[in-house]
Amino acid sequence: MFKQITNLNGDELYLIVSLWIFLVFFISVGCMLFWMKKDHIDHMRDIPLENQENENETRG
Amino acid sequence: MQIEQFNYDNKIVRDFGIATIIWGLVGMSVGLLVASQLIWPQLNFLTQYTTFGRVRPVHTNAVIFAFVGNAIFMGVYYSLQRVLKARMFSDTLSKIHFWGWQLIIVASAITLPLGLTTSHEYAEMEWPIDVGIALIWVVFGINMFGTILRRRERHMYVAVWFYIATFVTVAVLHIVNSVQLPVSFWKSYYVYAGVQDALVQWWYGHNAVAFFLTTPYLGMMYYFLPKMANRPIYSYKLSILHFWSLIFIYIWAGPHHLLYTSLPTWVQSLGVVFSIMLIAPSWGGMINGLLTLRGAWDKVRTEPTLKFMVVALTSYGMATFEGPMLSLKQVNAIAHFTDWIVAHVHVGALGWNGFMTFAILYYLVPRIYKTDLYSKKLANVHFWIGTLGILFYAIPMYWAAVVQGLMWKEFTPEGVLKYPNFLATTLEIIPMHIMRATGGALYLAGAIIMTVNLVKTMRQGKLRADEAAEAAVPGPIVVHEAVRHRRLERKPVLFMVLALVAILIGGIVEMIPTFTVTSNVPKIESVRPYSALELQGRDLYIREGCVNCHSQTVRPFRSETSRYGEYSKAGEFIYDRPFLWGSKRTGPDLHRIGGKYPNKWHFDHLLDPTITSPGSIMPAYPWLITQQLDNSLLSEKMNAMRVLGVPYTADEITQAVAHAKQQAATIAEELRSNQVDVRPDREIIAMIAYLQRLGTDIKATAEDERAASTEINKRN
Ligand code: HEC
Repeated sequence: MFKQITNLNGDELYLIVSLWIFLVFFISVGCMLFWMKKDHIDHMRDIPLENQENENETRG
Repeated sequence: MQIEQFNYDNKIVRDFGIATIIWGLVGMSVGLLVASQLIWPQLNFLTQYTTFGRVRPVHTNAVIFAFVGNAIFMGVYYSLQRVLKARMFSDTLSKIHFWGWQLIIVASAITLPLGLTTSHEYAEMEWPIDVGIALIWVVFGINMFGTILRRRERHMYVAVWFYIATFVTVAVLHIVNSVQLPVSFWKSYYVYAGVQDALVQWWYGHNAVAFFLTTPYLGMMYYFLPKMANRPIYSYKLSILHFWSLIFIYIWAGPHHLLYTSLPTWVQSLGVVFSIMLIAPSWGGMINGLLTLRGAWDKVRTEPTLKFMVVALTSYGMATFEGPMLSLKQVNAIAHFTDWIVAHVHVGALGWNGFMTFAILYYLVPRIYKTDLYSKKLANVHFWIGTLGILFYAIPMYWAAVVQGLMWKEFTPEGVLKYPNFLATTLEIIPMHIMRATGGALYLAGAIIMTVNLVKTMRQGKLRADEAAEAAVPGPIVVHEAVRHRRLERKPVLFMVLALVAILIGGIVEMIPTFTVTSNVPKIESVRPYSALELQGRDLYIREGCVNCHSQTVRPFRSETSRYGEYSKAGEFIYDRPFLWGSKRTGPDLHRIGGKYPNKWHFDHLLDPTITSPGSIMPAYPWLITQQLDNSLLSEKMNAMRVLGVPYTADEITQAVAHAKQQAATIAEELRSNQVDVRPDREIIAMIAYLQRLGTDIKATAEDERAASTEINKRN
């Protein structure tokens, strides 16, 4: 099953480089998440729910 | 803290909402028509404006850009204002955006049936409309960024990133995929040819799915789902990871549409690998959505909006599981060109896009009209009939795909094709197509019920055009924020640039070598440019949309080479602008049709396919026989081709019309000797010239080689 992606007649370089780029990218995003503060996350999560009362009161 | 009063613009949301509903009904009805044409070819109505090849792009574009497009703008204009606590930047821009987009839709709905098409799938509109799309898209962008800059919430919620990524990526895709050299106001040629054109088209096509049908909907999910369930998103961190990996990975996956074609193998492999990786961020998003509902499942039972959302997310999960599976070469070998792909996109379109659109409409119409939904019961009926519609659509199509795909590949014990007549495999799946059309009709019926429900809701309420809101003005930032993403969430332009970089990498790695390294498209000496008449025929083939039913690329399998002939090589397509490989085999592949039948066969077949192929579902093309071939642009066309690099001589260009007439006379003469009386200046002659030329250049090589080798044998 891996033959379809490993058998590239010398063009493997493209694949290897591409995967490395992704890995570096992915790890950077991971690090960013790791160092993110919890209060900030909580604040962000709640943004859509903030104008809640406003809406309930004007509805119906 | 200072509190500011302001208004949300609900009127623009309402307008986009109404456009969504109207174009949704139109797009689905046209879909039902094309589905029925594949069962009863009489429904092509024997006029050129209503044949399948021209109407199918009307359906796809109407559903993608008119229905889903308007729904995106509705959802974005509603949620953007609220998460940023600001009114849209400019009411005028909002209006220009709205009317401009509707104008583009109407222009497309008129030009596509007229046969004015570039034939790039999901981008068929000719260049003036492309320019219009670019302009209106920029208006949308300015309006969105203006709003972001004026926001009263310092940080951009995840939904907004998805909208920003949508904006930049669609702009890049649209521009790159529309680079054409105009020949006249309604005719142009792509600057890319053959394999390269195919790569650009499917980089675009795949990412239209990613950045038009997916990212804006994920953004809307991240806003509307928490609202509907009245609880925050399950994991905000997951949404960040989901966002960045999704936009990064998606852009690489386009080549999975071109597996086993003459696209360089390494590009195909990149497409496969990244397609498989794509399952992770896609499922990350789905799981984040579904887990948001944990503890709220009782609500799902009573709220139709949440029911629609759950099915939308489930369909998203199914489609994004199936996509990577279909990218595996072994699976692709069987499923590609069959109804499997049609089923796959409809699980996405009907389930994910359609159902989320319905959920959002049911959510926001009562809110902006300050009332309650007219009937929850009707909404529930809609939900069930719609779900049934999806099942009735998808299941028969999967079944049809397996049946037909296996028939194409079946050999007898003696080693010959069991079904050498393609039509036999078509007729076998007609019952499944009838069921599919029924599924589509059910889905449409659901949408009509929704329309009634929403109109009644609007009638009983009153539009709150300007909805009062208030928010604290964010003070100047005093503390420096150490965490990077946190700063990023404050800087929309930087954010856009980073998103742009993330989506450019994949395209660059795949495209630049394919365009610049010559070994990626090996030249074949015997391949020559089309003659003047053949070029005209090719443009007729494009005009009639034959590509919507016929592929022009033979894959290197025994089942295909025994059915169609030698498999296709990259070097054979270097003069093909646009490439016409197609994506669906409703009819047989035509790359090696040249020389397969006599001219008379093609004449009869185009006049009425059932003459040569009893029971055929191919439309008849009698107007090709009555209409005169328009040679007025011929020299300009050939000149444009020369500008793009086709080696036509000055003589070939200035004498184009004369040469075309000469070739036409020969064909008409040959037809006359077979009792077919047709004038040489009719369109059908050009079409036959093109069909007879297709895929024959390489036979010249084969014959040369054979001749050469017999020479050698003789000498030895
Ligand atoms: C609705 C789909 C559809 C469209 C559109 C369509 N065809 Fe077909 N075509 C078929 C089917 C199905 C067959 C097989 C049955 C037959 O021979 O008619 C076929 C067969 C053919 C064949 C014979 C292939 C062979 O190897 O026997 C040719 C040539 C052909 N089509 C040309 C065209 C051209 C040219 C156009 C555009 C003007 C066109 N078709 C448009 C469905 C379609």
